[in-house]
Amino acid sequence: MTRNRLAIAAAALLVSAAVPAILAVPARADDQDFSLIERGRYVATAADCVACHSVPGGKPYAGGTALQTPFGTLVAPNITPDRETGIGNWTEEDLRSTLRDGIGRGGKRLYPAMPYPAYTRMTDDDIHALWAYLRTLPPVSNAVEANQLPFPFNIRLLMAGWNLLNFEPERFKPDPQKSAEWNRGAYLVQALGHCGTCHTPKTMLGADDTDRALQGANLQAWYAPSITSDSRQGIGGWTADQLVAYLKTGVNHQSLASGPMAEEIQNSSSKMTDADLNAIATYLLDRKPPERTAPTALAADDARMKTGGAVYTDSCMACHGGDGKGQTFLFPTLADSGVVQADDPTTLIRLVLDGSRAVATGARPTGPAMPPLGWRLNDADVAAVVTYIRNSWSNAAPPVGADEVAKVRKALAQAD
Amino acid sequence: MTPSERPKTGRPSVFHTSRRRFLATTAMGLVALSASGAHAKILFGTGLPWDSGAIEPPRQVLPGPWTFFTAREAEMVEAIAERLIPADDLSVSGKDAGCAVFIDRQLSGHYGSSERLYMKGPFQQGLPTQGDQSGLTPAVRYRQGLKALDEHCRRTMGGKSFTELSPEQKDQLLTAMEKDEVKFDGPVSAVSFFGQILKNTMEGFFADPVYGGNRDMVSWKMIGFPGTRYDYRDHVLKHNQKYTLPPVSIGGRSDWARKG
Repeated sequence: MTRNRLAIAAAALLVSAAVPAILAVPARADDQDFSLIERGRYVATAADCVACHSVPGGKPYAGGTALQTPFGTLVAPNITPDRETGIGNWTEEDLRSTLRDGIGRGGKRLYPAMPYPAYTRMTDDDIHALWAYLRTLPPVSNAVEANQLPFPFNIRLLMAGWNLLNFEPERFKPDPQKSAEWNRGAYLVQALGHCGTCHTPKTMLGADDTDRALQGANLQAWYAPSITSDSRQGIGGWTADQLVAYLKTGVNHQSLASGPMAEEIQNSSSKMTDADLNAIATYLLDRKPPERTAPTALAADDARMKTGGAVYTDSCMACHGGDGKGQTFLFPTLADSGVVQADDPTTLIRLVLDGSRAVATGARPTGPAMPPLGWRLNDADVAAVVTYIRNSWSNAAPPVGADEVAKVRKALAQAD
Repeated sequence: MTPSERPKTGRPSVFHTSRRRFLATTAMGLVALSASGAHAKILFGTGLPWDSGAIEPPRQVLPGPWTFFTAREAEMVEAIAERLIPADDLSVSGKDAGCAVFIDRQLSGHYGSSERLYMKGPFQQGLPTQGDQSGLTPAVRYRQGLKALDEHCRRTMGGKSFTELSPEQKDQLLTAMEKDEVKFDGPVSAVSFFGQILKNTMEGFFADPVYGGNRDMVSWKMIGFPGTRYDYRDHVLKHNQKYTLPPVSIGGRSDWARKG
């Protein structure tokens, strides 16, 4: 425990501007080791801690983004080393049990909005590096009321029962049959990247439905599409290079990231190494898709297809083209798109209603936007055009009803 | 002009909003620049700002009660529009295309009050190439011009009002106004009033139907204007073929647009 006390003492001295740096107790080399801290920074980037533990425009890691869960609102706390409002009086062991068991300092139970069901797989080395990095952050005084859930969900002890049912603390187990690259990718996807938090469907209790891992899920009026190698609804049609381009630049031959994925790319994957992104691609594209029979496309003379075609010609074709091919790196290709043909059309509907801006990265700095069309199209029009897009060119997917559009429109109005 | 002097119209001005936004954005940029010294800085967050509610889409003008004209004024404007663009085998008349509705909504909006123009004195007679330089807003011009026209008719046409004249008499009078051969009482001259209403009637006839005129895109169908389409890549190489897509308005077209 001496080591931890020393680390805290050193951190406390560092934050106190009144104390000349020369008086600071030299910290132990292993905790202040530059390469260790840099590695911790990379772990924090790959784990995208900043996405939840910061507000846009605010101080990184000082907490504050409200997460709307089906059970109520949770706010990610301040994880800077501030003693009163952050984790300044934590130990490395506190961080370890937070990440691995969902139990914070003083036995406080976390809610799984903090993806400890993924972070539980983190290696010792990564947690140690992350801790070293978090200690170097400037402490920010920002008190966050993390638990804003309604009764009874606000009782943290409930999570003991939840964990019993839904959570197994376990470390990442490499698959000896697979390559080192594949295993690195699996570790990044399952543990640090916590991709399943958005892309894996949830059970009634809000836990990952592991039988359908990464097959696509609905959250916050977005549908995070399947990232299995399903060629129709997933990313099976992409090459490893195309997937790496998407994760690194936000843009590839077919798609442009927007919404929560834009944030992920901006904060996390665009800053990861090419080797790690290639590892992710190796792992994801190797995941077998579930057996699904593709539906038959609606007939072109279906009334919905006719109306939808008219809307498409008048409102969409100028950018996405009569052939649904769009314009590479600028307007997404709708033909053969996973998110277009997904069983859940939420993302497609919301993009038509509300528009969106694609991510801007150093490599692809344009960040083109799709204008909102919800003011111009009523629910039936949107349903028709979405149905048309899902069943034109080589696409085939179930038709969409006006009631589904109304639901998304309502959710968007509430989010504003 | 201090904020308290700004004309109060009761409606938010698009320009004021976007100007404020522009200033805020610039300020943010300056802060970002100064915070990072000489180096440009990537703003923390998700890149360029995006607010889907930022657009202020035009609202479909529906025929209904007049918002600016009195019933009598509206009658006169419709009668004039009917003579400026008479019904023929090419199209319906300016009146039936909704030109008076268009003008009415424009006059009760920012156009009528010259809200987006500098309207403080001094007002001087400018050159013809400088356009209108007077302090009269379009709303005042219509109110005064229509009043003067009606009085002129009653005085010179044997007590008849403009709307009671035969089509030929109306055409004669309008032609005389255009040639500056008619003298109106009041601040608005006959020739300038004719120019104003001719211009606005044409605008109503050819503008997007979302603004109240050009009913059913009648003028666009007449001249073959495609409307709010703006991408023709699929047609560029189709030489000597007829372009068959129907015109489309901002509010859509009858194959799909919301009704009413």
